[in-house]
Amino acid sequence: MTTYVIRRILQLVPVLLLVTLMIFMIMHLLPGDPVQLMLMGAEGGAVPPQRLAEMRQALGLDKPLWIQYLSFLAGAVTGNFGESIRFRSPVAGIIANRLPHTIALSVAGMAIAVIIGLSLGTVAAVWKNTWIDTFSMVISFVGVSMPIFWLGLLLILFFSIDLNWLPPTGTGGLPGLVLPAFTLGLVSAALISRLTRSSLLEVMDEDFVRTARSKGLTGWAILVRHVARNALIPVITIVGLQFGNMLAGTVVTETVFSRPGLGRLVVNAILWKDYPLVQGSILVLATIYVAVNLLVDLSYVWIDPRIEYL
Amino acid sequence: MNGFLKRWTTPLALVATLVIGAAFAQGGTKGGNLVIAMNGNSEPASLDGQIDPYDSTDIIDTLVSDHLVWLNLKDGTPEPFLATGWQVSSDGSTWTFHLRQGVQFQDGTPFNAEAVKFNLDRIMNPANGSAQAASDLGPLESTDVTGPYTVVLHYKHPWNSLLNALAHIPMWSPTALKKYPKGEFDQHLVGTGPFKLEQWIPKDHVTFVRWNAYNWGPPGMNHKGPVYLHSVTFKFISEQLVRGTILNTPNADMVWDLPAQYYSRYSGNSTYKEIKTFQPGTGLQYVMNTTRPPLNSLKVRQAIRYAVDPVALNKLVYHGLYLPTYGPLNSVSPCYNPAVKSQFSYNPEKADSLLSEAGWKRTGNGVRKAEGVAGVPDGTPLDVTWVALSRQSLGEVLQAQLQQVGIDLKLKIVPGPVQLQMAQNKTYGLMYERQRTPSPFVLYQVWYSKNDVPGGWAWTGFSDPKLDPILEDIVTAPTAAKACSYAKEAQPIINKNAVQLPTLSEAMIFALKDTVKGFQIGKTQGERFYLYNTYVSK
Repeated sequence: MTTYVIRRILQLVPVLLLVTLMIFMIMHLLPGDPVQLMLMGAEGGAVPPQRLAEMRQALGLDKPLWIQYLSFLAGAVTGNFGESIRFRSPVAGIIANRLPHTIALSVAGMAIAVIIGLSLGTVAAVWKNTWIDTFSMVISFVGVSMPIFWLGLLLILFFSIDLNWLPPTGTGGLPGLVLPAFTLGLVSAALISRLTRSSLLEVMDEDFVRTARSKGLTGWAILVRHVARNALIPVITIVGLQFGNMLAGTVVTETVFSRPGLGRLVVNAILWKDYPLVQGSILVLATIYVAVNLLVDLSYVWIDPRIEYL
Repeated sequence: MNGFLKRWTTPLALVATLVIGAAFAQGGTKGGNLVIAMNGNSEPASLDGQIDPYDSTDIIDTLVSDHLVWLNLKDGTPEPFLATGWQVSSDGSTWTFHLRQGVQFQDGTPFNAEAVKFNLDRIMNPANGSAQAASDLGPLESTDVTGPYTVVLHYKHPWNSLLNALAHIPMWSPTALKKYPKGEFDQHLVGTGPFKLEQWIPKDHVTFVRWNAYNWGPPGMNHKGPVYLHSVTFKFISEQLVRGTILNTPNADMVWDLPAQYYSRYSGNSTYKEIKTFQPGTGLQYVMNTTRPPLNSLKVRQAIRYAVDPVALNKLVYHGLYLPTYGPLNSVSPCYNPAVKSQFSYNPEKADSLLSEAGWKRTGNGVRKAEGVAGVPDGTPLDVTWVALSRQSLGEVLQAQLQQVGIDLKLKIVPGPVQLQMAQNKTYGLMYERQRTPSPFVLYQVWYSKNDVPGGWAWTGFSDPKLDPILEDIVTAPTAAKACSYAKEAQPIINKNAVQLPTLSEAMIFALKDTVKGFQIGKTQGERFYLYNTYVSK
């Protein structure tokens, strides 16, 4: 097991190198000069070419690309991603400020997704081919097909503007998290519920379930102790992947609810060609994504003792 | 006697308590915590207005920093503030400022000539990458301290917009600037202003609290000393629906930049107040690429001007709330020349005939095609690429208006860096270029042919031997009034050549609950507002 974990961590290195190289190349292929944007600003004046050259030199953008890439990597190893071109402050600090908000939203969103998804999927599987099943699956269809921004705006209109129950924006503690987390969680809940249903139904037809039933176990005991544990592996896989997606994919929810977060940060940084910020943020997101998936893989051992990592 | 006292002591005490209580209540109403919902897209990248170029940074900085110069709220005339007076040399290149005594920064650092020099030197240091402030200070050669409260600014040539610049450039505590690295200072702003920065969570909110030791104040206010408000919070809200409806909740007292479509939600309702203001400058203009067909032809450019109807555009896209604009400066700019309005008026028939004369022929209602246009193969359709950072709906209406005369307007929304590159490579037809400033210097920036270089704002490739010297004069004029007269001379020349498509000027709409009192906006200062007299009565 330890060897497996170490091996997986070592495998991270080429993955992350590839990610940083791709991002670096794409960012430099995109048109536009961030230094001009930085100095000209919104209202600006004519910036003398000499001043542009001075700033490029100060930011190290006058050096050959491969040197820029290597110096980024050298800094990244020590957690120094350089200084943001737009914010004029260290990238690591900016990411550190935004990351907790993204993690809070993703965790809350995933918690809602898991609670709703597992419940709906289980209910649908247990009462297969009844109106309950149909109803649960219709709800999950609605969840999958509803655009996030539309759902978010509806929730704001109803719960914040009309009823005044919850704040429409911001990071003000738990109340401020409810609507965005629900918005974010509902789409994943739909996916999880559909997968839970099909996975449970598949296991329910297995011979060992019939054996358990013939032993006289109650339906509930069979479901929890025998069916669920065997059916959970694909569900956990999708939960892991969804959580990874949520970390970077919260941009719409963050925008609708005016919350700070890494998703919005990366999108704006790309628009501004803020190389250090894009590279630093993507590297952090990729690391978290890979780490979450490693945890998912490791959780299989706990769920299904037959699985063993060597 | 004792009996009398015994009988009346309680009622007298009660009355006294009520009177004193009422007096306190009167004073107490002048306080409150103001929550402002502002457009999240206008959130500054940095709160340090010496480095960051945005209008919103300037406005937010007015809470923490006083300025050397104050712009009169009625007419924008420069008045003494932290500078008690100034003299300018006869050649207009040396400015002497006398500073107010007894002022200190929020960290106790004294405000004096050394502090001013430290701030100006910081802005002019290229390593600090100041975008707007360095440009506003212009060709400043050096700043000398000639006394504890006297500074002298030496210029390479006359710089008539200096007073306007000093009314916008914040003054920060040198102690704090030395203490915090450049990237961190904007989390710890220390100025001489009436509010202290308490907390900034980017993309969420920024909060300022009253500085009780503030014992001076800007001219023309109804009191001196600390402000009334206990705190001011700006909530950054990008979503238009939320910004448009948030006043119906307890989550905000005021909206800065109310989307036009939500104006009717509050207008006519006595529990709200709406204030509409326009920013001096170019307005939402689209400059034309004169270096290649079809816009290298004056007739085609003129045809576009005749084919566009700003009034209809305003009604269709912005509910008639914006300001139709007809020249290189909008009508709220102090140096606006009204003569530009009569140079072009909506006339699609004239546009049609100009296009035909230019060799762009039309059959039926289709797109025109080239027939004998120099440098263009016959049969080439008349299409023009419109490039902007946003406002797709405005582009769509322009597209429909130009279609009427047979021009195919192709719309492209691009991010900032791409816009700059397209402008410099001249791979556009019409390009969004808006500058918001009351200074006539903007005409020099956008239209002086030598500014058509990387890092410059002149993008059209247009050059006029008569225009360039006038634009130079705007910059070097010894007084602001003289600069204004040159600007008035330049506008009809630029406009006559149809090198830009003026459309509308954005209305900056504020919506306030009626509990917000004493909110002030400078008349010629666009959206710049002041909270010195403001309070929230609850």
